[in-house]
Amino acid sequence: MNGEDPQERPEQIRNIINGLERYNPQAADVLEAYLQQQCEEKFCDCNANRALLKLYQLNPDRIKDEVITNILVKAMTQFPSPQFDLSLHLLSPSQSNPGPNSTSDLTEAVSKLRVLNAQLEGAQYARFWVTLDSDDIYADLTTDIAGFEEMIRLRIAHLVSQAYREVQTSVLEGWLGLDSEDEVKKFVIETCGWRVGEDGLVQIPKNPDNEAKKAEIREDVSVDMFGRVIKRAWEDSA
Amino acid sequence: MSYQNGMAAPRAIEDDSDVEEEALVADYREQVQYEGGMEELDQATLAQQADEIQSRLVQAAQPLDFQATLETKFQSYDNYCALFHYILNSDGPVDLEPPSYYWAWDVIDEFIYQFNTFSSYRARIARQANNEEEAQILRDNPNTWGCYSVLNVLYSLIQKSQILEQLTAMRRNEDPMAVAGPYGAKNLYRMLGYFSIIGLLRVHCLLGDFSLALKTLDDIELNKKAMFARVMAAHFTTYYYVGFSYMMMRRYADAIRMFSHILVYVSRTKNFQKNTQYDSISKKNDQMLALIAICVAFHPTRLDDTIHTALREKYGDQLLKLQRGGPESLPIFEELFRHACPKFISPVPPDFDRPEANIDPIDHHLSVFMEEVKTNMWSPTLKSYLRLYTTMDLKKLAGFLDVKPEELRSWLLVNKQRTKQLRWTDNGLLEGELVNISDLDYALQGDIIHISEAKMGRKLVDWYLRNLSRTYA
Repeated sequence: MNGEDPQERPEQIRNIINGLERYNPQAADVLEAYLQQQCEEKFCDCNANRALLKLYQLNPDRIKDEVITNILVKAMTQFPSPQFDLSLHLLSPSQSNPGPNSTSDLTEAVSKLRVLNAQLEGAQYARFWVTLDSDDIYADLTTDIAGFEEMIRLRIAHLVSQAYREVQTSVLEGWLGLDSEDEVKKFVIETCGWRVGEDGLVQIPKNPDNEAKKAEIREDVSVDMFGRVIKRAWEDSA
Repeated sequence: MSYQNGMAAPRAIEDDSDVEEEALVADYREQVQYEGGMEELDQATLAQQADEIQSRLVQAAQPLDFQATLETKFQSYDNYCALFHYILNSDGPVDLEPPSYYWAWDVIDEFIYQFNTFSSYRARIARQANNEEEAQILRDNPNTWGCYSVLNVLYSLIQKSQILEQLTAMRRNEDPMAVAGPYGAKNLYRMLGYFSIIGLLRVHCLLGDFSLALKTLDDIELNKKAMFARVMAAHFTTYYYVGFSYMMMRRYADAIRMFSHILVYVSRTKNFQKNTQYDSISKKNDQMLALIAICVAFHPTRLDDTIHTALREKYGDQLLKLQRGGPESLPIFEELFRHACPKFISPVPPDFDRPEANIDPIDHHLSVFMEEVKTNMWSPTLKSYLRLYTTMDLKKLAGFLDVKPEELRSWLLVNKQRTKQLRWTDNGLLEGELVNISDLDYALQGDIIHISEAKMGRKLVDWYLRNLSRTYA
C-alpha cells in the first residue's frame, strides 16, 4: 500500500503534479475527478490530493467543502502517518481552527475529523468507533469514501499484528468496532487468516515486528574510517 | 607516487567527507578574506558606476529598511517586477554580469524576505483593525506581493536558465553547458535560476507545503560540493528549511542529521566569520538548536559532542522537560516551536472586514504539530518503565503508571508504531527506507509484555577518531 505515490496514478495526473500545471486553476477539475475515482476504487493518492489543496489555497474561490473533507478522510485512512497533518497544513487557518464567532460548516467538519484522526493516531481504536457512531455528521462525512469502515478495520488489524502475538477477543471486539465475539472470530479467521485458540485468545502468526528479538548493535569499523588519520601521518612525515 | 599529484584530489574529496569538509572550510576562509578586499573595491567603483542597470542590480540585493513605509514596500515590489521583467522578457538574454558571487543569492533572499514580511504585515493590519488608512490601501492592491507573482518569478528563472537540466547533466558527469541554452550559459541566469530553487524550498515551507518543499530540491545534491555551499547564507538557509520540513513530516532522524550538519559546520567556521554576518547566523543557530531539542525529544539519539554541549548550555532545562514528556512538556514544545519556526504566511490576502477571522498561520501550524506531540507525550514515561523489565504484566504496569489497562494498550501501540521511521539513504530527499529507530522493542502476548533491549556496543573507534582529529585541528 502506498498512499503517497500509488501505482494507480495515471499519466495525466503525474504530469499535473510534477509540472507547472499544478498551479493552473483549471487543473482542479481533473484532480477533483481523480479524487472521486480514489474514493470509489479504494486507493489513495495523498500527493495528488495535496496538489488540489494547494490550488484551493491559492484560489479560495474554487473551494468545494466536500472535496476538502473527502481528502481529509482519505488521508486519515493512512494512519499512522503524517498524511492527515500534511493536508491540514494546507488549509487556511480559519478553516481548520474554529474562531470565536465564525463557525462555518467546513470548520465544524474539519474539527470533527481532527478528533477522529487524533484517536486513530493515538491508537485509541475503541474510542474511535464510539466517536464515529456518536454523531450523524460522521456518516455524512464518510459516505463518499467506499469501504471506509472496512479499510480502517483492516488497517487496525494489521497494526495489531505488528505488536501482538496473542490478543484477547474482547479487546479486539472494541478495537475492530464489531458487535460480538463471534463476529471478531469470523473476521480474524476469514479476513486476516489468523487462528483462535481454545482459550479464546486470537493467535497471530509470527512476523518480524511481533518477535521483539534481542539484538546487539556493534560498531562497524572499516579501513576507510582511518583514511584521514593515515593521510595526516603520511603528510606529516613527508 | 602518482596518486599524490593533483589528479587524485577530486576523487579523494568525494570519498572522504572529513577531507571534503576541511577543503570547504579552507575555501570559505579564503572567500571571507577575499571578500574583504572586494568590498573596498566595490565601493570605490560604485561611485563611478554610471551604468544605471548595474546599480539597479546592486539595489535589488540591498535589504529594505526595517521601518520602511507601505509606500516604500509597494515601490520595492514594482522595482523587482521591473527588474525581473527586464531580465526575463528582453529580446534574448541580457548581457550583464552579476556584480558579485553572492549577488544572485542576495537578490532572491531579499525578494522572498520582503514577500514574507509584507504578507505578515498585511495580515497583522487586518487582525488588529486599527489602521483603516493602510487597510484600505492593502485592500485596493490585493496583487502587490501576491503569491502567484512571486512563484511565477522563481519558476520562470528556473525555466529560463534550464538549471534543472544543467544540474541533471552535472550529476551524470556531463557538460552542463551542452544543455544550458542561450540563457543558462550566462552566469547571471544560471545563478539566479539556481538560487530560485532554494527560494522555492523556502516559499513552499512558508506556505506549509513541506513535502513539496523537499521535492523542489530533487535535482540538488545536498553535499559540500553543491553550489549553494559556497555562499554561507544559502548553505545555512537550505539546511534550516530542509531540516524543518523533515521535522514536520515526522522524519526526526533526518531532521537531526540536517541541523547537525550545518551547526557543526558553523561552529568550525565561526572564528573567521565577519560580525555582521555572524549576528544573523547566530540567531538561526539558536533556532536550529531548539529544533534539535524538539526532534531529540521525539527521537532520542546520540548527538555530535559540539552540538550536545551547545544544546545543554542553551536549552538544558527545556530539553530535560521535553525528554520527561507528559503534559508538563507541552508548553515547552510550544515555546520552542514558536521561537524556531519560519514566519509562516497565508498565500491569500486576509479578510479586512472580519478581523477576528484572520488566524495567525503560526498558530494554525503549531496546533497541527501539537496534535502529534500530544499523541506521543507518554512515550518517555512508558519507555523508562519498560527498560526495567524483560517481561511484565500489562495490568500490573498500568497500576504502576496509574492508568487504565485500555489506556496503556494505546500507549504501547503508539510507541511501537512510532519506532518505525522513514530515513533518507540516497536519491531524492523525500525518498527513504523504513527503519526501526529504537533500541527498545517489545511484543505482547495477551497481557504479557515481552521486552527486549538492543545492547549498544561502545563505539570505541568512533570516539577515538573523533578525539584524534580534534587534537590535530
